[in-house]
Amino acid sequence: MNMLCHGEMPIDTENDIVMARKSVREAAVSLGFGVTDVTRIVTAASELTRNIYVYAGSGIMRWQSINENNLGLELVFEDHGPGITDITLAMEPGYTTGKGLGMGLPGTKRLMDEMEIMSEIGKGTTICIRKWLRR
Amino acid sequence: MATVSVIKIRDILLVAVPSDPDDFTVSELQDQVLDALQRYNAKGLILDISTVETVDSFFARTISETVKMVALMGGLTVLSGMRACVAVTTVQLGLSFDKTLTALDVDRAMDMLSAAIDSMETGL
Repeated sequence: MNMLCHGEMPIDTENDIVMARKSVREAAVSLGFGVTDVTRIVTAASELTRNIYVYAGSGIMRWQSINENNLGLELVFEDHGPGITDITLAMEPGYTTGKGLGMGLPGTKRLMDEMEIMSEIGKGTTICIRKWLRR
Repeated sequence: MATVSVIKIRDILLVAVPSDPDDFTVSELQDQVLDALQRYNAKGLILDISTVETVDSFFARTISETVKMVALMGGLTVLSGMRACVAVTTVQLGLSFDKTLTALDVDRAMDMLSAAIDSMETGL
Protein backbone atom coordinates (compact mmCIF):
# COMPACT_ATOMS: atom_id res chain seq x y z
CA MET A 1 0.00 0.00 0.00
CA ASN A 2 1.32 3.39 -0.95
CA MET A 3 0.95 5.59 2.13
CA LEU A 4 0.86 9.05 0.64
CA CYS A 5 -0.72 10.62 3.66
CA HIS A 6 -2.22 9.54 6.93
CA GLY A 7 -3.02 10.94 10.33
CA GLU A 8 -5.38 10.91 13.24
CA MET A 9 -6.89 13.38 15.66
CA PRO A 10 -9.10 13.22 18.73
CA ILE A 11 -12.65 14.58 18.56
CA ASP A 12 -13.39 15.98 22.02
CA THR A 13 -14.63 19.54 21.54
CA GLU A 14 -16.82 21.48 19.14
CA ASN A 15 -13.69 23.13 17.74
CA ASP A 16 -12.30 19.70 16.81
CA ILE A 17 -15.05 19.53 14.16
CA VAL A 18 -13.47 22.59 12.50
CA MET A 19 -9.96 21.12 12.90
CA ALA A 20 -11.16 17.83 11.39
CA ARG A 21 -12.56 19.69 8.36
CA LYS A 22 -9.18 21.44 7.89
CA SER A 23 -7.17 18.19 8.14
CA VAL A 24 -9.46 16.32 5.77
CA ARG A 25 -9.46 19.21 3.30
CA GLU A 26 -5.64 19.25 3.26
CA ALA A 27 -5.47 15.47 2.77
CA ALA A 28 -8.07 15.47 -0.03
CA VAL A 29 -6.44 18.39 -1.85
CA SER A 30 -2.97 16.81 -1.57
CA LEU A 31 -4.30 13.60 -3.15
CA GLY A 32 -5.55 15.58 -6.12
CA PHE A 33 -9.33 15.54 -5.60
CA GLY A 34 -11.24 18.25 -7.46
CA VAL A 35 -13.04 21.05 -5.62
CA THR A 36 -16.47 19.35 -5.66
CA ASP A 37 -15.14 16.03 -4.35
CA VAL A 38 -13.08 17.87 -1.71
CA THR A 39 -16.29 19.61 -0.61
CA ARG A 40 -18.18 16.28 -0.51
CA ILE A 41 -15.45 14.60 1.58
CA VAL A 42 -15.06 17.55 3.98
CA THR A 43 -18.84 17.79 4.44
CA ALA A 44 -19.04 14.04 5.19
CA ALA A 45 -16.23 14.43 7.76
CA SER A 46 -18.07 17.36 9.32
CA GLU A 47 -21.27 15.28 9.70
CA LEU A 48 -19.51 12.26 11.20
CA THR A 49 -17.25 14.19 13.60
CA ARG A 50 -20.29 16.13 14.82
CA ASN A 51 -22.09 12.81 15.39
CA ILE A 52 -19.16 11.70 17.58
CA TYR A 53 -19.23 14.97 19.53
CA VAL A 54 -23.03 15.04 19.95
CA TYR A 55 -23.83 11.35 20.52
CA ALA A 56 -20.64 9.86 22.00
CA GLY A 57 -18.95 12.90 23.56
CA SER A 58 -15.54 11.96 22.24
CA GLY A 59 -13.81 9.74 19.73
CA ILE A 60 -11.13 9.69 17.09
CA MET A 61 -10.86 10.39 13.37
CA ARG A 62 -8.20 8.67 11.24
CA TRP A 63 -7.43 9.32 7.60
CA GLN A 64 -5.19 7.59 5.10
CA SER A 65 -4.67 7.48 1.38
CA ILE A 66 -5.44 4.09 -0.13
CA ASN A 67 -4.16 2.59 -3.34
CA GLU A 68 -6.04 -0.35 -4.83
CA ASN A 69 -5.99 -0.05 -8.64
CA ASN A 70 -7.01 3.50 -8.00
CA LEU A 71 -6.00 6.15 -5.49
CA GLY A 72 -8.47 7.10 -2.80
CA LEU A 73 -8.97 8.56 0.64
CA GLU A 74 -10.29 6.54 3.57
CA LEU A 75 -11.64 8.14 6.74
CA VAL A 76 -12.46 6.21 9.92
CA PHE A 77 -14.55 7.64 12.76
CA GLU A 78 -14.43 5.68 15.99
CA ASP A 79 -16.14 6.27 19.29
CA HIS A 80 -17.01 4.39 22.46
CA GLY A 81 -20.43 5.96 22.77
CA PRO A 82 -23.86 4.34 23.16
CA GLY A 83 -23.82 2.69 19.71
CA ILE A 84 -26.57 2.71 17.08
CA THR A 85 -29.61 0.57 17.98
CA ASP A 86 -30.87 0.05 14.45
CA ILE A 87 -28.42 0.88 11.64
CA THR A 88 -31.06 0.33 8.91
CA LEU A 89 -33.33 2.85 10.63
CA ALA A 90 -30.41 5.27 11.18
CA MET A 91 -29.82 5.22 7.42
CA GLU A 92 -33.42 6.32 6.72
CA PRO A 93 -33.53 9.98 5.67
CA GLY A 94 -35.25 12.04 8.35
CA TYR A 95 -34.73 9.58 11.18
CA THR A 96 -32.96 11.00 14.21
CA THR A 97 -32.68 10.22 17.92
CA GLY A 98 -31.28 13.68 18.58
CA LYS A 99 -32.06 17.21 17.51
CA GLY A 100 -30.62 16.88 14.02
CA LEU A 101 -32.28 16.72 10.63
CA GLY A 102 -31.68 12.99 10.26
CA MET A 103 -29.72 13.66 7.09
CA GLY A 104 -26.19 13.03 8.38
CA LEU A 105 -25.80 9.28 7.81
CA PRO A 106 -27.86 8.78 4.62
CA GLY A 107 -26.46 12.03 3.20
CA THR A 108 -22.89 11.02 3.97
CA LYS A 109 -23.41 7.75 2.13
CA ARG A 110 -24.59 9.65 -0.96
CA LEU A 111 -21.56 11.97 -0.84
CA MET A 112 -19.03 9.13 -0.62
CA ASP A 113 -18.31 6.06 -2.78
CA GLU A 114 -18.29 3.56 0.08
CA MET A 115 -19.52 3.57 3.65
CA GLU A 116 -19.44 0.87 6.33
CA ILE A 117 -20.97 1.15 9.78
CA MET A 118 -20.05 -1.16 12.63
CA SER A 119 -21.84 -0.54 15.89
CA GLU A 120 -22.40 -2.37 19.13
CA ILE A 121 -24.85 -1.19 21.78
CA GLY A 122 -23.01 0.16 24.79
CA LYS A 123 -19.61 -0.33 23.15
CA GLY A 124 -19.42 2.22 20.39
CA THR A 125 -19.52 2.92 16.69
CA THR A 126 -16.94 2.78 13.92
CA ILE A 127 -17.77 4.29 10.54
CA CYS A 128 -15.46 3.94 7.55
CA ILE A 129 -15.96 6.03 4.41
CA ARG A 130 -14.00 6.06 1.14
CA LYS A 131 -13.80 8.23 -1.95
CA TRP A 132 -11.88 7.20 -5.07
CA LEU A 133 -10.09 9.52 -7.44
CA ARG A 134 -11.55 9.36 -10.93
CA ARG A 135 -9.00 9.55 -13.70
CA MET B 1 -14.19 31.59 17.00
CA ALA B 2 -14.68 33.79 13.95
CA THR B 3 -16.14 37.27 14.33
CA VAL B 4 -19.19 38.25 12.34
CA SER B 5 -19.98 41.84 11.37
CA VAL B 6 -23.45 42.99 10.53
CA ILE B 7 -23.42 45.94 8.12
CA LYS B 8 -26.49 48.13 7.70
CA ILE B 9 -27.15 49.56 4.23
CA ARG B 10 -30.32 51.65 4.25
CA ASP B 11 -33.08 49.19 5.29
CA ILE B 12 -30.98 46.13 4.65
CA LEU B 13 -28.54 44.20 6.85
CA LEU B 14 -25.59 42.54 5.16
CA VAL B 15 -23.78 39.67 6.84
CA ALA B 16 -20.71 38.00 5.37
CA VAL B 17 -20.70 34.51 6.87
CA PRO B 18 -17.13 33.43 7.80
CA SER B 19 -15.58 30.78 5.54
CA ASP B 20 -15.24 27.96 8.06
CA PRO B 21 -17.30 28.84 11.14
CA ASP B 22 -17.53 26.58 14.19
CA ASP B 23 -20.98 25.68 15.54
CA PHE B 24 -20.76 28.37 18.23
CA THR B 25 -20.09 31.09 15.64
CA VAL B 26 -23.05 29.93 13.53
CA SER B 27 -25.36 30.03 16.57
CA GLU B 28 -23.98 33.45 17.62
CA LEU B 29 -24.57 34.72 14.09
CA GLN B 30 -28.27 33.90 14.49
CA ASP B 31 -28.50 35.90 17.74
CA GLN B 32 -26.53 38.82 16.29
CA VAL B 33 -28.70 39.00 13.18
CA LEU B 34 -31.98 38.97 15.12
CA ASP B 35 -30.64 41.56 17.55
CA ALA B 36 -29.49 43.85 14.71
CA LEU B 37 -32.81 43.45 12.89
CA GLN B 38 -34.66 44.74 15.94
CA ARG B 39 -32.14 47.46 16.80
CA TYR B 40 -31.90 48.96 13.30
CA ASN B 41 -35.53 48.36 12.40
CA ALA B 42 -34.28 46.71 9.20
CA LYS B 43 -36.60 45.21 6.59
CA GLY B 44 -34.28 42.85 4.83
CA LEU B 45 -31.27 40.65 5.42
CA ILE B 46 -28.62 39.36 3.05
CA LEU B 47 -26.67 36.34 4.26
CA ASP B 48 -23.67 36.12 1.97
CA ILE B 49 -22.09 32.66 1.99
CA SER B 50 -19.74 33.23 -0.96
CA THR B 51 -16.65 32.33 1.10
CA VAL B 52 -18.27 29.34 2.82
CA GLU B 53 -16.64 26.11 1.71
CA THR B 54 -18.63 23.59 3.74
CA VAL B 55 -22.38 23.53 4.37
CA ASP B 56 -23.28 20.64 6.64
CA SER B 57 -26.61 19.77 8.27
CA PHE B 58 -25.98 21.89 11.38
CA PHE B 59 -25.12 24.97 9.34
CA ALA B 60 -28.11 24.44 7.04
CA ARG B 61 -30.51 23.94 9.96
CA THR B 62 -29.30 27.06 11.77
CA ILE B 63 -29.48 29.22 8.63
CA SER B 64 -32.98 27.89 7.76
CA GLU B 65 -34.14 28.62 11.30
CA THR B 66 -32.68 32.13 11.10
CA VAL B 67 -34.60 32.79 7.87
CA LYS B 68 -37.85 31.70 9.59
CA MET B 69 -37.13 33.83 12.67
CA VAL B 70 -36.38 36.89 10.55
CA ALA B 71 -39.68 36.27 8.69
CA LEU B 72 -41.57 36.19 12.01
CA MET B 73 -40.08 39.60 12.74
CA GLY B 74 -41.35 40.91 9.41
CA GLY B 75 -38.02 40.75 7.60
CA LEU B 76 -37.09 39.16 4.32
CA THR B 77 -33.87 37.16 3.88
CA VAL B 78 -31.87 36.42 0.75
CA LEU B 79 -29.12 33.82 0.88
CA SER B 80 -26.45 34.87 -1.60
CA GLY B 81 -23.30 33.55 -3.20
CA MET B 82 -23.49 29.80 -2.68
CA ARG B 83 -20.53 28.20 -4.45
CA ALA B 84 -21.19 25.55 -7.10
CA CYS B 85 -19.38 22.83 -5.14
CA VAL B 86 -21.43 23.70 -2.05
CA ALA B 87 -24.71 23.62 -4.03
CA VAL B 88 -23.88 20.13 -5.35
CA THR B 89 -22.96 18.86 -1.89
CA THR B 90 -25.96 20.45 -0.18
CA VAL B 91 -28.45 18.80 -2.53
CA GLN B 92 -26.71 15.41 -2.40
CA LEU B 93 -26.55 15.54 1.39
CA GLY B 94 -30.35 15.92 1.27
CA LEU B 95 -30.51 19.41 2.73
CA SER B 96 -33.03 21.91 1.48
CA PHE B 97 -33.30 25.61 1.93
CA ASP B 98 -37.05 25.48 1.28
CA LYS B 99 -38.79 28.82 1.03
CA THR B 100 -35.46 30.62 1.21
CA LEU B 101 -34.83 33.29 -1.41
CA THR B 102 -31.44 32.90 -3.05
CA ALA B 103 -29.26 35.02 -5.32
CA LEU B 104 -26.04 34.43 -7.20
CA ASP B 105 -24.29 37.37 -5.55
CA VAL B 106 -24.81 40.31 -3.18
CA ASP B 107 -25.66 42.74 -6.05
CA ARG B 108 -28.61 40.61 -7.15
CA ALA B 109 -29.66 40.04 -3.57
CA MET B 110 -29.75 43.83 -3.03
CA ASP B 111 -31.90 44.27 -6.15
CA MET B 112 -34.31 41.54 -5.02
CA LEU B 113 -34.69 42.98 -1.53
CA SER B 114 -34.99 46.60 -2.66
CA ALA B 115 -37.74 45.66 -5.11
CA ALA B 116 -39.57 43.57 -2.48
CA ILE B 117 -39.34 46.30 0.17
CA ASP B 118 -40.51 48.95 -2.33
CA SER B 119 -43.55 46.90 -3.31
CA MET B 120 -44.42 46.30 0.36
CA GLU B 121 -44.20 50.03 1.09
CA THR B 122 -46.29 51.13 -1.86
CA GLY B 123 -49.12 49.12 -0.32
CA LEU B 124 -48.76 45.99 -2.50
